[in-house]
Amino acid sequence: MSVSFALARSAGRRVLWFLFVGSLIVFMIGPIVWLGLRAFSGLWLYPQLLPKQWTVNGWRQVFNDPNLSHSMKLSFEFAPVVTVASAAICLPAAYAFSRYKFPGRRFLLISLFAVNAFPKIGLYISMAGVFYSLNLMATFLGVVIVQLIGTIVFMTWIPAAAFSAIPRSLEEAARDVGAGPLRVFFRVTFPLAAPAIFVAMILSFLASFDEAQGTFLVGVPKYITMPTEMYTLVLNYPEQVAAVFALLLAVPSVLLMALVRKHVMGGKLAEGFQLR
Amino acid sequence: MNRKHLGAIIVLALAVVLASLAATSKAATKRQAKTDTIVLYASGDVNVQSLWQQYIIPGFEKKNKNIKVKFIFSEHGVQDTTTLARIGAAVKQRKWPGIDLVDAGLVTTLATDGLTQPVTKATAPNIKNVDQKLLTPVKGAAIPYRGSSVVLAYDSKNVPTPPKSLGALLAWIKAHPGKFTYNSPNSGGSGYSFAETVVDSFIPANVLKQMQTGYFPNLESNWKQGLDLLHSLNQYVYQGVYPNGNAAVLDLLGKGQIWVAPVWSDQSLTALKTGQLPPSVHLTQIANPSFTGGAAYLGVPKSAKHKVDVYKFVDYVLSPAAQTQIINVMSGFPAIPLKLMPKAIQNKFADVSANSLRPTYAQKQQSDFKAQWQQTVP
Amino acid sequence: MRRRELREGAQGLLMVLPPVAVIAVFIGFPVVAAIAYTLGRAGGPNSVVASLGQRQFIVQHGVTLDAYRDVLGNKTIHRDLWATVWVTVLATLVVVVVSWAIALYLRLADTRLARIVSGLSVVPLFIPVVIASYAMLVFYSSDGFMRSVAYHLGWHSFPTLGFTLWCVFLAEVWVNIPFGVLMMSSGLNGVPNNLIEAARDSGASMPRVVRSILLPMNVIPTVIVATFTAIYVLGSFTVPYLTGPTAPNLLGPSMSNFFSAFNQPQQAEVLAIVVFVLALGIGAVYVWANVRTGKRSAVAP
Repeated sequence: MSVSFALARSAGRRVLWFLFVGSLIVFMIGPIVWLGLRAFSGLWLYPQLLPKQWTVNGWRQVFNDPNLSHSMKLSFEFAPVVTVASAAICLPAAYAFSRYKFPGRRFLLISLFAVNAFPKIGLYISMAGVFYSLNLMATFLGVVIVQLIGTIVFMTWIPAAAFSAIPRSLEEAARDVGAGPLRVFFRVTFPLAAPAIFVAMILSFLASFDEAQGTFLVGVPKYITMPTEMYTLVLNYPEQVAAVFALLLAVPSVLLMALVRKHVMGGKLAEGFQLR
Repeated sequence: MNRKHLGAIIVLALAVVLASLAATSKAATKRQAKTDTIVLYASGDVNVQSLWQQYIIPGFEKKNKNIKVKFIFSEHGVQDTTTLARIGAAVKQRKWPGIDLVDAGLVTTLATDGLTQPVTKATAPNIKNVDQKLLTPVKGAAIPYRGSSVVLAYDSKNVPTPPKSLGALLAWIKAHPGKFTYNSPNSGGSGYSFAETVVDSFIPANVLKQMQTGYFPNLESNWKQGLDLLHSLNQYVYQGVYPNGNAAVLDLLGKGQIWVAPVWSDQSLTALKTGQLPPSVHLTQIANPSFTGGAAYLGVPKSAKHKVDVYKFVDYVLSPAAQTQIINVMSGFPAIPLKLMPKAIQNKFADVSANSLRPTYAQKQQSDFKAQWQQTVP
Repeated sequence: MRRRELREGAQGLLMVLPPVAVIAVFIGFPVVAAIAYTLGRAGGPNSVVASLGQRQFIVQHGVTLDAYRDVLGNKTIHRDLWATVWVTVLATLVVVVVSWAIALYLRLADTRLARIVSGLSVVPLFIPVVIASYAMLVFYSSDGFMRSVAYHLGWHSFPTLGFTLWCVFLAEVWVNIPFGVLMMSSGLNGVPNNLIEAARDSGASMPRVVRSILLPMNVIPTVIVATFTAIYVLGSFTVPYLTGPTAPNLLGPSMSNFFSAFNQPQQAEVLAIVVFVLALGIGAVYVWANVRTGKRSAVAP
């Protein structure tokens, strides 16, 4: 009796579990797949589960848009530049946050994040004023800066935690053997922190890739990147073009994901968001 | 393991160097070219985009080989806020806003606040053909270049005899729940026009006149009755939700979800031509009062670059050739008198032109009206 | 020794200066200007916006709270505020629970299915928000997947969720789950295997292991997921703009309405500050939780 009861319970639990997993998969992937089908649908009436007619019109519209290939190229130019620039200014800061004691250390670390919580739409007018005063409007550097703003939190917090996790004794041992501070950093500290830095760079890359409003504010008329174009195309020819984009973007996404999944899941991220 | 990371980081760094090299070399080639480039920013629906991109700009560039027009489009004005911020800051600091000509709702705001350049006969000769009445609400600092009006679209399959007046329309809406809708006024002009028309029907003519020419916050109490009526329509509107934008309403009409809706005449005629709307959809105007219509304006920010070239472009837009394209391509009304247009066009528009349409409120009054609709109706 | 500390401090400050300066100039300064503008000061950096807007409350000397009174006395804003709070709370709860479940599944049963599920749940991270919002809208629209499937299962009146706050809620959950899953599984991976095995060996059931080992050791990641999700949803614009109803909607789109459609920039800035203050409140919880556990565990490096 008790055995069969336990069995029933576990079978019931299994069913529940599979229901949960199944609906989770539908919830996460369903919208993208459904949109993917739209990329080829000519005529699709409710409540059919598949399109009645198939077409590649959406693809033609996307590839015929003269601005698209240019803005795609721009996006792929800005994202790596922003990522590296952000690393260049933030990694020293991250190191300092983890290794040095100085007044206002925690205050600065927190306010880097806090200031970013202000809704950007409320700032555009005075931001435009600042960019004009510094002659940064419509310049490559200006766009890099406006995208960089959104990456600073990741680029400081995550590496800072990684640096903190490296025992000081390792560095000191290297120094005792006679290595200079820079040599110690590049030979000992950096390789150990590299996975976390890599994760931070990926997040920065994605943040810069997705930034639309700020880039438009600063970049017009020279630098209009993909998210802005996407807004126009998605709202203009909704059904198919949005779908085409989703499919196009799925390719680099899957590659990127395969590359970083192990490191991101590997326990580096949670440490990065702990204040010390 | 760590080697691999280092490798990835080096690859990223290399990509950066290459990218910046590409960027600088591109900048270099741009500098060598002798042509001037002017930048046009437009916001609206897809018909506005294709008018500029496929017809007027190529036509102008063919005639003026040394001027290029760069076109920036913002769907539904998603970028209007940032653009306004940008132009405002630029004009204040006397720097180039990156945009030389604007075709968007924000032009009237810019013009009435003195941020755009007044255009005169000396700079663009064709401006003399434009009805001078249209210049007063914008203090002469913006150029009306086409007209459009809102009409009532109905599916003749299901609605054999359309309502002919506002009263009849309201009765029809109540008799057919879920078969009518209009987009929220802040998302597009056709829904705005319906809302304003309902409200206007309760306002004395002399008060209405004032609101059309200036900004009078103290007259806004007159809206109460109309807004209450609009609020009472919530239960009859399709799914009780107001769609976002003119195009969304056309979409519902095309799919047969709704049978009657206010739409832009130009946009719906184009949609009928391209098959987005089935041929069973017909257009009509209502009376007492009729829906509003009006002009679309172009504005030149005070600190624009290459102003001479911009005026040349504006002059071209007001020429009969470009105006004919506006009629043919997007079924708009011309901004210049019909007698200057080809014969075939004259016959087509026997009794309408941009200035005979029922005018809307002045810009700031419109903003307040949209705010009050949002507060009281949905 | 003292001199070395001083030198270190100066060096540290110098090294953190670049990112702090970038934030201070390009965000900090505009934030200060925005606050001044909402308090009625129209000079300096605010002169441009003040010359464009209407229905403004401006004073020459001192400050005024009239703009706040105007916005907070507005009934539409009340509804938007409530909608924002509800969607934020619900989305945060669901994100925390679901990402806990996925992360736990991966941690305890490292099977292929577990890896597939967690892999799929990270997908939204790589999809731009514009596309994501549109995908959600189409999925739940009147002719979307949910309604079509429900129809074939015999449920003909499945509700249309597109353009409702439910759709906003679902889309916010969808967009935020990747971060939650990554954070939670990274936190759970930090729990040593031998700790779990030791507990299992001494006869503890799985739920007990979860309750008494994994849960307390994963508090901080949970707090992080909750705060970051809540702050993200509070300030979001694209998701509610594309998937939400006309009214009431979240404060992001209504801020944009006040800016462009109603031409009332001062009111828009007040809303921005309301969101900012709410976000700071949530952020304070996060800092507090960090400080508390930091004090408790002396082992932390």
